[in-house]
Amino acid sequence: MRFRLRIWRQKGAEGGRLVDYEIDGISPDVSFLEMLDVLNERLVSRGQEAVAFDSDCREGICGMCSLVINGQPHGPDRGMATCQLYMRRFKDGDVIVVEPFRARAFPPVKDLVVDRSALDRIIAAGGFISINTGSAPEANTVAVPKQNAERAMDSAACIGCGACVAACPNAAAMLFVGAKVSHLALLPQGGPERDRRVLAMRAQMDSEGFGNCTNETECEAACPKEIKMSNIARLNREYMRASLLAEDYTASKESA
Amino acid sequence: MGVLSSLLTSSIGRKILVALAGLLLCGFLIAHLGGNLLLIYGEGPFNRYAQGLEKNPLLPLAEVGLAGLFLAHIAVSLKLRHENRQARPASYAMQRSKGGRSWGSRTMLLSGLLLLSFLVVHVWHFRVQEHADGLYRAVMNAFQSKYYVLFYVAAMAALGLHLSHGFQSAFRTFGLSHPRLLPMIRKTGFAFSAAITVGFALLPLWACFWAKGPR
Ligand code: HEM
Ligand code: SF4
Ligand code: FES
Repeated sequence: MRFRLRIWRQKGAEGGRLVDYEIDGISPDVSFLEMLDVLNERLVSRGQEAVAFDSDCREGICGMCSLVINGQPHGPDRGMATCQLYMRRFKDGDVIVVEPFRARAFPPVKDLVVDRSALDRIIAAGGFISINTGSAPEANTVAVPKQNAERAMDSAACIGCGACVAACPNAAAMLFVGAKVSHLALLPQGGPERDRRVLAMRAQMDSEGFGNCTNETECEAACPKEIKMSNIARLNREYMRASLLAEDYTASKESA
Repeated sequence: MGVLSSLLTSSIGRKILVALAGLLLCGFLIAHLGGNLLLIYGEGPFNRYAQGLEKNPLLPLAEVGLAGLFLAHIAVSLKLRHENRQARPASYAMQRSKGGRSWGSRTMLLSGLLLLSFLVVHVWHFRVQEHADGLYRAVMNAFQSKYYVLFYVAAMAALGLHLSHGFQSAFRTFGLSHPRLLPMIRKTGFAFSAAITVGFALLPLWACFWAKGPR
């Protein structure tokens, strides 16, 4: 197959533009990232600089790959990451525009690589359990309602890729934060730090410069793990609950 | 951080404030439409209703409250929008929806700004100005102009568009995510938006084209 790629090239934090590349001899069965690998090999053999892009596992579980492909984070399909996208999804001769995730909180590093550590800092602010939960307890000693176990599992599927931010017209990180708050809030082990967690993560989210949610639901549509909007509603509930009850008042003061 | 300052300074708190004011304004719309519909009963009933309102000692209080709701809704939503714009300094060369956005949600700012311009004209004309012949005649005379009618109908269409997204969005902001209740709220929101738009837009159309009243 042959394609006309229009790829965002950017040397450092500033500037950048779309550069056109013709590529042919691409098997329909290679993945999008493998196609970029082929492009890079050809660029390097011609003495040109390779296109920088992120990836790691290449099987949809690590959250490293990104890319906005023809205006859509992780490409045209729902429920999959860029690394799971294959070239047979495109037509021979297609023009394909490839851009980085764009948000103030994701500063550009180079070409298609952006710095997503803002998401890590939100986790570091409260997305954890401080006590050692030990080894797996005896079955049924800690009762967890089945629905909660399943919902927590669904929320925990978030791989932290940041596509929700990239897709959001407001560059909000509410789906990510909602998923991270939810999966701990739904389980007994997350209970003791429930209020402190949501207050601190909200504060960190705002200070990173993400936008404000307007319930556009574009994040849900772009999420490779199909994290649901209900996680945002739960984040709102958890935040209201913690603010109103202020059971953990010192923590809420710390995060002010 | 106390509850109040959290409401005013955090992203989620500000969203809740906009949603709360927006829903309370929806309540005002119902009352306002009810009063307006008295136009159809003619000059006597309508002017009696209008004078009754003006004589009510609680009116100034209600007006201050209403102005407060509008101001809070507009000021905070514009602040949020400004932040949202700053949150993506470099825009995409190409952006395509993966499904999710609606016409209503895309145009919240536009429909809001159109409503704001409408509000200024509307409040100036029918509230601030004196009406020697009574409010009924002032309203009926104003709607003899087709341009004025067009402006009103356009503003009410914008209101319907605004609420088609805003109504359900407000409930999501309050944390509603029930799998059966939320779709019901969405449908209620669409029905409410349509009813409000048709109700308010019908009056100027009626006054211009069908009413046989004083000219
Ligand atoms: C009768 C008048 C109005 C009513 C009933 C109303 C109602 C609402 C509702 C229910 C919401 C949803 C809140 C949410 O997303 O949680 C909303 C959002 C919004 N409204 Fe209004 N509104 C009115 C007038 C205005 C005006 C005059 C403006 C002027 C700028 C405005 C600007 C906005 C904006 C920008 C949003 C989106 C909020 C955001 O970005 O989070 N609205 N409105
Ligand atoms: S919620 Fe979905 S889109 Fe957002 S970071 Fe997690 S996996 Fe990625
Ligand atoms: S490279 Fe790991 S999820 Fe795509």
